[in-house]
Amino acid sequence: MTVWVYVPIVLSAALALLAGPIAARSAPAAGALALAGAALTAAVTSTASLILLVATLIDDLPPPLVARNEPGRPQLPQPVPDVIAITAIVLLMIALVRCGTDVRRRGEVHRRLREAGRPGEGGVVIADWAAPYAVAVPGRPGHVLLTTGLIRLLTPAERRVVLAHEQSHLSRRHHRITAAAAVAAALNPLLIPVRDAVSYLVERWADEDAAAAVGDRHLTARSVAKAALATLDRPAGAPDSSPGRGSGVNGMHGARQSHALSRVRAMTTPAPRANRAGLIALGLLSLAFIVTDAAATSDFITFAAAWLP
Amino acid sequence: MSEGRRAPGALESEVMAALWAAGRELTPAEVQSALGSTLAYNTVLTILGRLHDKGRLIRRPAGRGHVYWPAEDEAVFAAQTMRATLTGRPDRERVLQQFAAALDDADAAALRAFLEADRP
Repeated sequence: MTVWVYVPIVLSAALALLAGPIAARSAPAAGALALAGAALTAAVTSTASLILLVATLIDDLPPPLVARNEPGRPQLPQPVPDVIAITAIVLLMIALVRCGTDVRRRGEVHRRLREAGRPGEGGVVIADWAAPYAVAVPGRPGHVLLTTGLIRLLTPAERRVVLAHEQSHLSRRHHRITAAAAVAAALNPLLIPVRDAVSYLVERWADEDAAAAVGDRHLTARSVAKAALATLDRPAGAPDSSPGRGSGVNGMHGARQSHALSRVRAMTTPAPRANRAGLIALGLLSLAFIVTDAAATSDFITFAAAWLP
Repeated sequence: MSEGRRAPGALESEVMAALWAAGRELTPAEVQSALGSTLAYNTVLTILGRLHDKGRLIRRPAGRGHVYWPAEDEAVFAAQTMRATLTGRPDRERVLQQFAAALDDADAAALRAFLEADRP
């Protein structure tokens, strides 16, 4: 085996480094789709690398099944050290468990929140709850869940922004894009920054749609700022009686980066143009994942052919 | 913006939100002004009638017309469902496209400054 098998893993780290700068400079729709696509490619190829590394353990099978190095004959190709192969097994197990957990939890939350609306209703469902929430619940047709806590903070025009933002999530099926990025990050934790960049761009995308719908970028910026500050005053996860700081949304998310300020800033400047350099970089990187994965697979086939009788 | 650009159902959503924001029963004229837009009175009346037919609004005669308020069962049920699904579970919140969440102190200060500076 040569180094090719490790390259998708190294490239995943490179993609993670690129994700932030690209997200900051991209038009949201193209950026979200390109980053999610690159993340999926990275996750699939780096998982394939782990599988190849595990498969190199075939040289440890007993002799009737595999060949043996014999004096006087050319040496069989070297497998990777067993310690690496064993590590790959562990990483692969963790990846599959994380992926299963993410998919199950996502499905469960969406299914339970769909029950909050009436079947086939569409439109908005209002929850009489003081915590400030606005959530797009995907489905057919899907609905927007708003809490009275949020509604009462906003002016009629700001409520229109929130509704248009959530409708954008539903009609553009943003949950598929974020789910793809989340599965990629579950399979390969190096991609967590890419997942976060995708979720930022998807919010930006809905902000741009909302601004277009109400015809006012500044109003959109105000609405985002107000709603974000509301979650601070009354963390959504805290009980109504004790909206304590450091618990609820803010405390729970801990390391999770806030996007609200960047979104507000982006709305106070003109809509970004397509970032061609960023998209080309992502395209080339995705291609590199596929090429190195192919090279690693071909390496493995050579290796296996030599060892198997 | 022109009213025609709204997504279908968007007006119904706005009317529901306006009634909930008011927190009391409203006449169609009050709904019209609570929407803060240039919607025609007859349009508001049509939407109120449609929402009443769907059972999402309750009304009683008052003066020469009706006053309307939201059917609360639906909102209480939705709140219970949300609370049971989300409360205290950061991993569950993460799967949602939330309008805004997770703010640190520095960002909060910057957002407050933005809203302050922006005040008309």
